[in-house]
Amino acid sequence: MADLISTFRNITYKPSWRNILAHFTLALVVTLVATTIFYALSQVIVSLPIALLYLLPVGLCAAIWGLDSGILAAILAFLGLNYFFIEPRFTLFVHQTQDLIVLLVFLGVAIFISQMVGRTRNSLAAARAREREAVRLYQLSAELAELHEDRLIVESIARHVIETFQATRVEVGLQDKAGRDAFVFSLPKGQPRAALDFSQPTMRVPLESPTELIGEIRVWRLQNEFIPTEERLLQTFGYQGVIALERSRLIEAETRARVLEESDRMKTSLLSSVSHELRTPLATIKAAATSLQSAAVSWDSAARNELLLAIDEEADHLNLLVGNLLDMSRIETGAFKPEQRWNALDEVVDAVLYRMRTTLRKHRIEVDVPESLPLVYVDDVQIGQVFANLISNSLKYAPEKTVVRIHARKQDKDNLIVQVSNQGPPVSEADLERIFDKFHRVTASDRITGTGLGLSICKGIIEAHGGRIWASNLPDGFAISFTLPLTWHGVSPHIPEEHEPSATHPGN
Amino acid sequence: MGFHPIFLKNMSPQPHILVIDDEPQILRALRTILTAKQFRVSTASRGEEGLAMAAAQQPDLVILDLTLPDIDGIEVCKLLREWTQVPVIVLSVREGERDKVKALDSGADDYLTKPFGIEELLARIRVAMRHAVQTQGSKQPIIVAGELEIDLANHQVKHHGREVKLSATEFKLLAYLASHAGRVLTYGAILSHVWGPTERDHVEYLRVYVRQLRRKLEIDPEEPRYIINEPGVGYRFIIND
Repeated sequence: MADLISTFRNITYKPSWRNILAHFTLALVVTLVATTIFYALSQVIVSLPIALLYLLPVGLCAAIWGLDSGILAAILAFLGLNYFFIEPRFTLFVHQTQDLIVLLVFLGVAIFISQMVGRTRNSLAAARAREREAVRLYQLSAELAELHEDRLIVESIARHVIETFQATRVEVGLQDKAGRDAFVFSLPKGQPRAALDFSQPTMRVPLESPTELIGEIRVWRLQNEFIPTEERLLQTFGYQGVIALERSRLIEAETRARVLEESDRMKTSLLSSVSHELRTPLATIKAAATSLQSAAVSWDSAARNELLLAIDEEADHLNLLVGNLLDMSRIETGAFKPEQRWNALDEVVDAVLYRMRTTLRKHRIEVDVPESLPLVYVDDVQIGQVFANLISNSLKYAPEKTVVRIHARKQDKDNLIVQVSNQGPPVSEADLERIFDKFHRVTASDRITGTGLGLSICKGIIEAHGGRIWASNLPDGFAISFTLPLTWHGVSPHIPEEHEPSATHPGN
Repeated sequence: MGFHPIFLKNMSPQPHILVIDDEPQILRALRTILTAKQFRVSTASRGEEGLAMAAAQQPDLVILDLTLPDIDGIEVCKLLREWTQVPVIVLSVREGERDKVKALDSGADDYLTKPFGIEELLARIRVAMRHAVQTQGSKQPIIVAGELEIDLANHQVKHHGREVKLSATEFKLLAYLASHAGRVLTYGAILSHVWGPTERDHVEYLRVYVRQLRRKLEIDPEEPRYIINEPGVGYRFIIND
């Protein structure tokens, strides 16, 4: 990072006195060394083209250290040539025009070479700076391309800005519709703005989309002012940020639209399945009631009882369905809060079986919920609804006269495991997970009606209790199992002991 | 123990029931059924109207829907209790356990969950009226429920004629439930009566003691006949003749 900054500095290179002094010293040293070598050579080789040789140190200095060094080298070279090599030797006396021409050529060469070298060097530095700028931009846009969240995009911009510009502090703020900062991310972390001894940022770049102002990048830099190249780069960072933010907003809007569409589709599918489902028991009730009204059914026939029973059963079925719809909408809207208290599971199961007693006649119900089980911390009404749904499902899918079994055991210190199984057909592996999805029904068979809400409600209720629910195939049937909490905040219920053994006096 | 039509306020052979519900279908059905069962029925479709009619007509029993268009049913219950001990049966839906408990704690005698069977409603009406009579008169010293005999004065319980040993708390619980036979008692009401008002949230005590009682009293504790659980609300002691 530091080299990029130094490259920027080079482009706008301004000579300092210290640099000039160093360059002069170097030019002096080079010329002295060259003169010494040339002098030694002139003792050995007769008629050496000394003037020509002196072009070497002049060119060298101009090429390496620039114009100032080159000019000094040219002057020194001229003096050295004049003093050591041109007759009269060891004087600085110029008495021939041709000597002056040599001096001018030296100066010309020094200026020309230093200009050439300087220009090349500058364009090289500029090219390198542009390359680094491009790399920086590429890194930023590559990173932004993968981000789809405002927060992450803002963080990424801030990080790149603080690294690239070596800023003291960077803030990237997103504005709400009213133009206030809705979200601000700043780097370095944990350093409040007040820590800076000035409050106005060194540089501000607005994040502006064609239609609105999205936010702003604010940069504080204590050491250096921003030069135009840096300003331009920061602007470009801003453009990249705007593009990324706009894209993330578009994606968000699209997702929202898709969710709405999905929920709309669900509602339509719910409505059609619900109206079908509501109509089935209604049709039975209507048919039974009208036949009872007609003279066709005699008052004390078995048919009459059958019809009355059908009305009663179907009314209960409608009630369960309406309860499920209400539960579903409460689970969906997040209004579903179980009212948990300590309950005896056998009581919960008994209450459900009592309520469903008329519908259970065609199956055998086996209950294995020992009353010795510890208390469970549940909403008994909701867990009752879970049992009602699971039993109702079993009655629907398992053939008549088969066994529906309710079984509960302690799994560990904290959980009870409950299983409701039937001797119905197995469910394919793929469906075992999906049967808890809304509106999912395993069979499309006309015989079986249902909204497909029952199991997803069970899942909602059990999960609201912090439990787990899953389906499995048994050797001779199908089972849904779930867990219920035996502790509340890790604590089991405490029952006070009675000290007196018995109070049934008198008589003992 | 059958239904004895002894009514202190009016001795007419036809007990008077006031139904407060905003749904005309329910009003129509209840009016038809209750009239057929030899009750005198008047109806109100709003809370204010119901309160005015209760004051003017002095019914023997009130059937009150908890969801009314003008005032909350629980509020109606409280206002009634300010001046009358007339039995009140509230009607509620399955999701309204909290409201049922509130209504019961505000003085309602019993509740029914919609939809309900008419036999259930008639049973509730019988129990509520009998209880109204009992609270006016003296307490029965001995409660008989099927094979169960509870001697309140002597702290003695017999099952099938054999004495059953109960702890002090067990007896207190049984006596409280049995002396309100047929009526639902909320967890809070039972707990504060048996264990004291500070313990009214400790449902776990109740679960354990009910289990112990069932083990000692019920023929098949898995299929209780006497102490019935009302999910989310409380317990009911049933006397089957």
